[in-house]
Amino acid sequence: MISPRMASGMQEKQYTPSLLSFFIYNPKFGPREGEEEKKILFYHPSEVEKNEKIRNVGLCEAIVQFTRTFCPRKPAKSLHTQKNRQFFLEPEENFWMVMVVRNPMIEKPNKDGKPPTVEYQEEELLDSVYGAVLQQCYSMYKIFNSTFNRAVETGGVELLIQKLEKFFYRYLQTIHLQSCDLLDVFGGISFLPLDKMTYLKIQSFVNKVEENLSLVKYTAFLYNDQLIWSGLEQDDMRILYKYLTTSLFPRHSEPELAGRDSPLRPEVMGNLLHYGRFLTGPATLKDPDAKFRFPKIFVNTEDRSEELHLIVYKAMSAAVCFMINASVELTREFCEQMDALVGPQLTLLASDICEQYNINRRISGPEKEPQFKFIYFNHMNLAEKSTIHMRKTAGASLSSVHPDLMKILGDINCDFARVDEDEEIIVKAMTDYWVVGKKSDQRELYVILNQKNANLIEVNDEVKRLCSTQFNNIFFLD
Amino acid sequence: MAADVHNKGGATWDTAKGGLAAVERMRSDRSDSPTPGLVEGTEPGAGQEHTMFVHAQSFEDLTADSESNPDAELTGNRRSAVGDSEEVQEGQGVELQGGSTGNEAGEQKQWAGQQRGLRPAREEDVTGEAWRAHRKHVFVLSEAGKPIYTRYGTEEALSTIMGVMMALVSFVEAEKNIIRSIHADGYRVVFLHKSPLVLVGVSRSSQSERELSRELQYVYYQIVSLLTLTQLDHVFRHKQNYDLRRLLAGSEHLTDNLLRMLEYDPGLLLNAVTSLPLASVARDALSAGLQVARAKSLVFSILLAGSRLVTLVRKKDQYLHHMDLHLLFNLVGSSSSFREGEGWTPICLPKFNTAGFFHAHISYLEPASNLCLILVSTDREDFFNLSDCRRRFLERLRRRSAYKALQEALHSPTYPVSQVGIPELWHFVYKSKSSGLYTSPELPVPYQGEEEHERLIRLYRYLHSCLHHPTRPLRSMYRSGNTENLFAWATSGFELYLCFSPLGTKALAMSAVTKLLKWIRKEEDRLFILNPLTY
Repeated sequence: MISPRMASGMQEKQYTPSLLSFFIYNPKFGPREGEEEKKILFYHPSEVEKNEKIRNVGLCEAIVQFTRTFCPRKPAKSLHTQKNRQFFLEPEENFWMVMVVRNPMIEKPNKDGKPPTVEYQEEELLDSVYGAVLQQCYSMYKIFNSTFNRAVETGGVELLIQKLEKFFYRYLQTIHLQSCDLLDVFGGISFLPLDKMTYLKIQSFVNKVEENLSLVKYTAFLYNDQLIWSGLEQDDMRILYKYLTTSLFPRHSEPELAGRDSPLRPEVMGNLLHYGRFLTGPATLKDPDAKFRFPKIFVNTEDRSEELHLIVYKAMSAAVCFMINASVELTREFCEQMDALVGPQLTLLASDICEQYNINRRISGPEKEPQFKFIYFNHMNLAEKSTIHMRKTAGASLSSVHPDLMKILGDINCDFARVDEDEEIIVKAMTDYWVVGKKSDQRELYVILNQKNANLIEVNDEVKRLCSTQFNNIFFLD
Repeated sequence: MAADVHNKGGATWDTAKGGLAAVERMRSDRSDSPTPGLVEGTEPGAGQEHTMFVHAQSFEDLTADSESNPDAELTGNRRSAVGDSEEVQEGQGVELQGGSTGNEAGEQKQWAGQQRGLRPAREEDVTGEAWRAHRKHVFVLSEAGKPIYTRYGTEEALSTIMGVMMALVSFVEAEKNIIRSIHADGYRVVFLHKSPLVLVGVSRSSQSERELSRELQYVYYQIVSLLTLTQLDHVFRHKQNYDLRRLLAGSEHLTDNLLRMLEYDPGLLLNAVTSLPLASVARDALSAGLQVARAKSLVFSILLAGSRLVTLVRKKDQYLHHMDLHLLFNLVGSSSSFREGEGWTPICLPKFNTAGFFHAHISYLEPASNLCLILVSTDREDFFNLSDCRRRFLERLRRRSAYKALQEALHSPTYPVSQVGIPELWHFVYKSKSSGLYTSPELPVPYQGEEEHERLIRLYRYLHSCLHHPTRPLRSMYRSGNTENLFAWATSGFELYLCFSPLGTKALAMSAVTKLLKWIRKEEDRLFILNPLTY
């Protein structure tokens, strides 16, 4: 695909969307004139001059207030301008989060030393995608810090400001705005399908651990970035899953791949060799000075709000999260006990699942470029499946299709989101790719077909075939 | 890449795009059914010789800030510059060109609707739920933040909110940026700053930002058509916080009516007009009649039946933009006063030239019929000449058999979709791109109520906006849901929108498309204007 701008020869520079600013304010904290600065709880980039910060927050307040004229209960969610888009979120009453994203742009050089012409591409960003990214920012803050209000209750505005500073300073660096797409809208979880026998083995393993280590309150079991079992509420698991798969796991390479002298080499417990190790907490139990501190997470913040230690333990491709009430102090003895109990069993389980996994892969056929790629999402259990995206790397997930096609998927998704009815949409893009979207009973399926000479009827048949082979138990509107 | 597409001819309804040599647009070359290689100018409904309209490629053409037709140089008369010393006479309406009011016999120098008085009282509680619930609000204000127009409620009651709108616009502009729109759950607010006016639309439908912005452009041009841009600029240059309502008093119903047209007339969406179905022999005779009844200053002769075009004859090399034509339709359709005699009104056709006025002679040919003749002249002293043109046209017409055919056609200005012979096909809109004309059957039962009619147009609008997406346009789109199945297809020659029963299958839809295109080809003599004439 040659885009016209590449063909035109001149040296043009293309800029992807980027984060211009990100701020959090509460209009109640500085209601009087001259006190506007007090409203601002966090502002990135921090070096922006004070008056400009106040001006930008003022604009957001004005926009929100203005839209209340037309709908008092549903104020603005985004503002489109020529150069950028601003996204607004009020996750807790009077707390506003604002993310400003610059539109992608093309810089065209001018002759005779004139400054280059900048052309903003105003139709490239999808509101649904970046609205979801902003919501994710809040959810991620909340799972590690609990709510904004809670921080204010415990340590006043100063504590909240400290927490925001500490969290968002790092978190904002991990957002890859140019690779956000439909998957961010879904925020789904990829589940690993297993046969009954293996699944029961995992369940009995979880039961046994919870029985022996009674401190463990919740457990989640993952294999190869896919979830198998979770005791958490869906919404908490969805954000924990996001953290694990896009942040924690990519930071830890597999021990099987580590060299002989690596500190990650397998532990020998008695006669049994196992590959278990802690991904959170101490790097190794052998270190006499090891600290047994684990990250804390907050779940069920809607009602009773629980604070928990998050222990992530991994053996080969299998990872287990154990969550323990944070009021309990975790000791070396407890960790050694857990390591001894979980390590060997998890190593065995991991190789069992691995076998299953490989069988499944063989059944699904040889790995050649298929005629179609798809994304599936189920709103009820958050199950998501994509053959469009490559393996997730730290922060970004790479899509293997042209960005314009991904945006067409996003457009279709917006149409689906508007009405609560079953619907099907089939479009043919200018590049002659076919894109099919189906929505049925809380499930959505998007297929991209690379059969340029097919007609609508053939495309329909192809998608039917796909539905019967990949989703044989799921009914889709014909 | 393009060559690649051509070679793979397998698809049954793939169109070749571009690259083909110009095709002789001779009758003998017109194929009986659309073929994959159909190009612009040979699609069903394409005119034989020249097109009647400025050819808009797509609606982006409209949204682009283009200057009016650069090669449309006419007489010096068009450039009726406003003298700097001239004071605008408030309440006097349109008398904007120097000196005399020239109140000759029959002249109607005022807005078509002014005689009818102001629009009915529109007192509404602008903080109330009912006011908020309107599906689409439109506001027009000056750069000083002064209210000029609101669709619902009164301008006075809304002056604060309009002040806020202006503040938002200027705040963003101060950062060398431009505010486009605000989006919230269930509605969006779109801003359009076309100096010296600011237009704001608030829509509760799923209408795209671009479509809404395009409708605001229409409103902008509606206002320009009454005053000319030169006059608008002049007024605000002299007095920044001038209350433009004083100049526009009595014209609000034109904007009201335009906004209603935008809700239900697919022509404004497609940049096209539809014609009265009429045998081509009769239509050609009418065109010839208009061609003969010419005057030196005459630029366009337009014969309308309601909102349908019967024929249009134009001066050689002068094209009428469909947007200007819609503004003329709106002027005629908004007012009953033209029924009372021969009307004479200045009108600026902003797509032609935003600086000057044309003068339109508007009259109904017979008291009870909706046949309306519009004669557009460049000379404001030309009333009697044009009145004479009308008389000559009528005299000639009454002696011909075409007159009878026309009378009959007026009794059946539409056709039922059942004529096509596809039971599952409920409705369609077909636009021939090169002629700028569209055809569409009457609305079937499920869509006859106002609410359902507008819903169908909204569905078409949605399809249209997907096909014409500025950065990721589509060739075709099929959408099936609980209430109907829809199919839209754009080629270089035509655009087609179909609405099927929800029980119809995709295979059926595909065969229906082929059958429908054949039918349109067969009926094109009647449904389209194939032989437009010039003076």
